[in-house]
Amino acid sequence: MNIFQVSSKNLLRRKLRTFFTVFGIMLSTWVLVTLLGFNKGYEQSLSNSIDGMGFQIVLTAKGCPYEAATLMLKGGTGLRYMPEDLVRDVASRPEVLQATAMLMHAEFDPNKGENGGTTVFLGVDPKTYPSMKPYLQFKQGAWFADDAKDEIVLGYEAAELEQREVGDLMILPGSEVEYKVVGILSRTGTQDDGMIYLPLTATQKVFKKEGELTMLGIRLKPSVDQNAFEESLYQLPDVQVVSMAQVKNTIMSLVSSAKAIVMSIAFIAFLIAMFGVLNTVLMSVFERFQEIGILKSMGALPKDIFKMILIETTLLCAIGGLFGIVIAYGFSGLSEAAIRYFLPFAPTGSLIIIDTFIVVFSFISITLIGLIGGIYPAWRASHIRPLDSIRSE
Amino acid sequence: MKTKVWAFFLLFIVSCQGWAAVGCDLNDPDRDVKRLFPSSTGYKTAYQSIEKSGGQALLKEVEALLGDEFQGLYETIDVPYTIYTIYKGSDIIGYIHGINQKGVYGGLQVFLGVDHKGVITRFYYQKLTSKKAALMRENDFAQQFIGLSWEDFKSYLPKTHEGGSEKVKQIKNPNVDDAADFYSTLRAVKKNLILMQVFVFENKERAQ
Repeated sequence: MNIFQVSSKNLLRRKLRTFFTVFGIMLSTWVLVTLLGFNKGYEQSLSNSIDGMGFQIVLTAKGCPYEAATLMLKGGTGLRYMPEDLVRDVASRPEVLQATAMLMHAEFDPNKGENGGTTVFLGVDPKTYPSMKPYLQFKQGAWFADDAKDEIVLGYEAAELEQREVGDLMILPGSEVEYKVVGILSRTGTQDDGMIYLPLTATQKVFKKEGELTMLGIRLKPSVDQNAFEESLYQLPDVQVVSMAQVKNTIMSLVSSAKAIVMSIAFIAFLIAMFGVLNTVLMSVFERFQEIGILKSMGALPKDIFKMILIETTLLCAIGGLFGIVIAYGFSGLSEAAIRYFLPFAPTGSLIIIDTFIVVFSFISITLIGLIGGIYPAWRASHIRPLDSIRSE
Repeated sequence: MKTKVWAFFLLFIVSCQGWAAVGCDLNDPDRDVKRLFPSSTGYKTAYQSIEKSGGQALLKEVEALLGDEFQGLYETIDVPYTIYTIYKGSDIIGYIHGINQKGVYGGLQVFLGVDHKGVITRFYYQKLTSKKAALMRENDFAQQFIGLSWEDFKSYLPKTHEGGSEKVKQIKNPNVDDAADFYSTLRAVKKNLILMQVFVFENKERAQ
């Protein structure tokens, strides 16, 4: 019988304790794997959501980010505009792969609430906008047939609020011109759900903003140096350049603070596993004080005893770790549902991604941490003096 | 700084998830409750849905009472309804409840304030899109609903626009050119009163 077999038999002799120790390690591993998976999944979902916005660069009139944020959150007005010629000039540059011009307009609606409110409209070019927002799918209908037509496309929540379906009519605040609803977008979980889209030229005409635009969404050719292109845009008068890469970096740096908290919880899971193992194995060593003494008197060397205890620890951690990984993987859907329930805001996409790296890292680290926890009990066991142990009760 | 503003803005918009059906809440509950019930000292908000309160069986019951089926993409069993219970001190003095109703040119949000017996004390369009919106929002029109209750609307048939008590029959459409939004409003009021019965008054009776 080799040391490995002796160690396994030792564990099986105390089934209940072995079970609870493995169970504890399994729980720690479950927490660890889920947290690491959440870290990866959340970051990736957020990143995909930002990339899915469709634009690499947004060109707006100076001061526009603040105004746009106020407009969306508080219903403020007073957007600034860029001359259409300037926008068309940028859109036609050779570096540009795709570009789409937009006109955002906030109109006061006296029949909203007690004292009126603001409704936001987005004028888009049906020839260029859909291809830059490929994730926008239709629940009913399609985009406008013509840029100048009196047609409307609604985001899902806007349609729900207005109780509109394809074929229904709408009028704009303060106007009696009838617009036909030609499309209702499926839910996206983004700001697009609340948007009311009009054809760009019709928007300019109806809101008397001919020759003016608020935004230009740009996607560059793969070979183009984005920084150099942005620099060239900064030379234009009274425009603001918003790079989605910058925005993404800033969001990711905000998210990294949350990641630090998640990692510290993972570290606590490590500590729980380590002290759990240390406690269990140390108790087991004390219980087998006489037995270890007899083993040594029969010729077992301190290194054999050390190895035996360390193998027991390794087995406990490896089995617990393995079960923890399986449970974390199996219950990842449930964990994700729970996270979505408790988180006030969560991006679309999978929030928990458990990949090979996370599985291997968790297994190795939980086993290593357990091993570290087992060193002291193993050292204690290897230093038991046979005579002392046989004499003791 | 500007990048941070955009970052916060985009983090907010890409993170927003709202898969539930849109309900009908007061835009500014603190201000609106005080305006609709000036003597109120506080209010409590409760969220109900036909799905949670009784499921398909309750939907059938509500449709039977309404005399019309729930229609379209948005009038569904899972729509959340917000009931505001209005207090004066520790006494309940009334309730506020609103519903979304399809109108000719957009959604109507019809709110009713009722007293503790279910009698309408306030009628309020929170949202209305109509070529004759100004006429529909006139106080004279709203006043015609004051004093009416579920009993008055019980026999009103939204499909044929017939029935109802004498008081209901006397409600005049302010827009002589088009009656569609007027009839939608009557349907909304009847549906609103039914849901108040289901979510509030029948629960109270059961509790007693």
